[in-house]
Amino acid sequence: MQHSGLAGPNVLTVRRTVAPFVYLLPLLVLLGLFTYWPLLNTVWLSLMRWNLNPGVPLQFEGLANYQRLVDSVLFADAARNTAYYILASIPLKVLLPLPFAVGIWALGSSGRIYRVVLFLPTLVSFVVISVVFLWLLNPIGGLVTQLGAMLGLPPGNVLASPTGAFWTIMALSTWKLLGFNILLYLAGLSRINRDQILAMRLDGASDWQVVRHLVWPMLTPTTFFVLVTTSIFTIQQVFTPIDILTRGGPFNATTNLFYMVYQYTFRTFDVGLGAAGTVVILVLLLAITLAKLRFLDRHVHYEQ
Amino acid sequence: MTTWRSALKAAASALIAALTLITAGAAHAETTITLYHYQTGSNYEAFRRLLNEFEQKNPDIRIKDIFSQSEQITADLQAALAAGRQVDVATVIGKNMIHFLNNTPAVPLNAEPAKAKFLDNYLPVFLDIGRVGTKVYAVPHAYGTPMVYYNKDLFRKAGLDPEQPPRTWDEVIQASLVIKQKTGVMGMGHLHAAMRDYGTMLMVTNAGGKYLSGDGRCALFDEPAGIAGVQLWQDLVVKYKVMPVAEDRQMQAAFNSGQLAMYITSSASLGGTVASTKGRFELGVANYPVFKEGMKRKTPNSGAALMMYSPAGPRRDASLRLLAYLSDRKIANRWSRESGYMPLSKNPLSDPDMAKYVSSFPLVQPVIAQMSDTVPTATWGEKGALEAQTIVSNLMDSLWANQGQALKLVPEAVARMNTAMGCAKR
Repeated sequence: MQHSGLAGPNVLTVRRTVAPFVYLLPLLVLLGLFTYWPLLNTVWLSLMRWNLNPGVPLQFEGLANYQRLVDSVLFADAARNTAYYILASIPLKVLLPLPFAVGIWALGSSGRIYRVVLFLPTLVSFVVISVVFLWLLNPIGGLVTQLGAMLGLPPGNVLASPTGAFWTIMALSTWKLLGFNILLYLAGLSRINRDQILAMRLDGASDWQVVRHLVWPMLTPTTFFVLVTTSIFTIQQVFTPIDILTRGGPFNATTNLFYMVYQYTFRTFDVGLGAAGTVVILVLLLAITLAKLRFLDRHVHYEQ
Repeated sequence: MTTWRSALKAAASALIAALTLITAGAAHAETTITLYHYQTGSNYEAFRRLLNEFEQKNPDIRIKDIFSQSEQITADLQAALAAGRQVDVATVIGKNMIHFLNNTPAVPLNAEPAKAKFLDNYLPVFLDIGRVGTKVYAVPHAYGTPMVYYNKDLFRKAGLDPEQPPRTWDEVIQASLVIKQKTGVMGMGHLHAAMRDYGTMLMVTNAGGKYLSGDGRCALFDEPAGIAGVQLWQDLVVKYKVMPVAEDRQMQAAFNSGQLAMYITSSASLGGTVASTKGRFELGVANYPVFKEGMKRKTPNSGAALMMYSPAGPRRDASLRLLAYLSDRKIANRWSRESGYMPLSKNPLSDPDMAKYVSSFPLVQPVIAQMSDTVPTATWGEKGALEAQTIVSNLMDSLWANQGQALKLVPEAVARMNTAMGCAKR
């Protein structure tokens, strides 16, 4: 009796200590296997020279791959464009969906049709969308070219101009993501108690005041989430239209770090260089996320 | 209890029957080999028919064909090799040949001379691309040669003789100007291919220049002939304004819909173009224009070759039997007829079926005639190939945006390409 009386609390303590880890184990294994192991492996590969051939041994290169990356024809343009894609995505993909979402939310149940219509592009394959736009923008008789001619615009190829090509890809990726981000904002808006709006109305608040003092503060967690995910997602989202419409040109005006990594790794099989580029992307995304957490998180209202 | 026993007996009988079937199957063991390819549509159907017939003649061999887009097949193939997946026979894009020879465990096809007699079926020049010393690593499979596809109806409408298509670049330009003036339709397009690499190579080579050194490490087209070839490509867009700056797929679509009078692209598009233009306009096919009157036409082949990766044993034997079958003159000619790719065997017209086909299908005659003008495509070395190809693409962007003439921009681009590729000695 004495023995069991002493052992009881110990067993309980051990159970309480160990049990959470047992429950977490499957998740930790999956995270380790599919996230952290590839991450560490990529860092390791960035220090090696290898061509993906399993029969060829890896050669240690150290930081030489990073030096080659910085010296390469593509890196400076790819890094600059990556920053442009992220910056341009803030007004287009983060802020633009907001008024759409508020408008649909204000319509109540009758706004469902608009929700469906705006969400449809999200469901369509980006490959299909890119190919369709390749035809629409065909400088020889494409629909957009014909409409431009009817309006008296000079014939030309929008994809042959660096500015035109960049903004075409931005427009496509915005159109594709708009509906999804609207949906996220609508989810955020659904947390707002409509009684609070009625109360504000009774106090004589205008539409703008409702949005400014109630809707916007309540949406800041969602906006913050949309901002972080869109910044990260944009880098890889534009890959498909780049590959189909421009292949990074003209004048490298549409390439980005993600596409450059693909080219190095799977076009020329320079795995070390591709891995070095991936590590640069990782550091960049980490920096963006940390900066947002540091400077923006304080303005986010998480309480109702 | 009895029911339980009966069920157990039935299960045991089923197991025995299954094992018997498996054992019987093993007695007639099938070897399955994989074949990576990029054939689609009617070309795939034609290719698969050949493979099915091979399987019927060789019941111990099964071929699993694995499709990948032509622009993606290099990456998919490399990924498959890296992942240790089964790769037996693979379609390798010609310009990547040096990389595959140096970096993948390809097996020489003539390692056992007794099993390599089929190599004699090919024109020797077509085997050069995969030859390293005495070893041959690749056989031609889907070779195309650039042809002028033209819209005879538009020629008539512009007052030109559709039976006298342009032979030289000067004639192409003149015809394009007349067509634009008389019909309002854009005159011509010229394929670029990925990174505008093949188009530039073609312009340079046909003008008498040399694009890359044999080892693929040095760009050589900053000589007068090469510069002249590149200048012509700029002039088509900037000086004469007869060619739009558009992607290959956009130009092909415009030609098929009658909005482009001439389109220069691979003979491999013949079948698709005939089908797409049927009922819309009368299609004509002519040889690639010679650079200047009196010069000889020189056209690098486009397309891909087959390489083998099977380990020694039944799979390698099966792969060699398949390659031998595909090299057979009648089969190779049939593949050419049904796909539009160049005939690859020696003296293809000595095959009565091929001779009959060519006489009954005049559109293919220029393709046959152009075989003797074909030169091996230039292949890129390993170091800095992506950078160099990017520089070529940007060079053409600069020329078409009229930021300078070839005489100034080509030497600068070639110098940067050679720095990127580590070209030590030209």
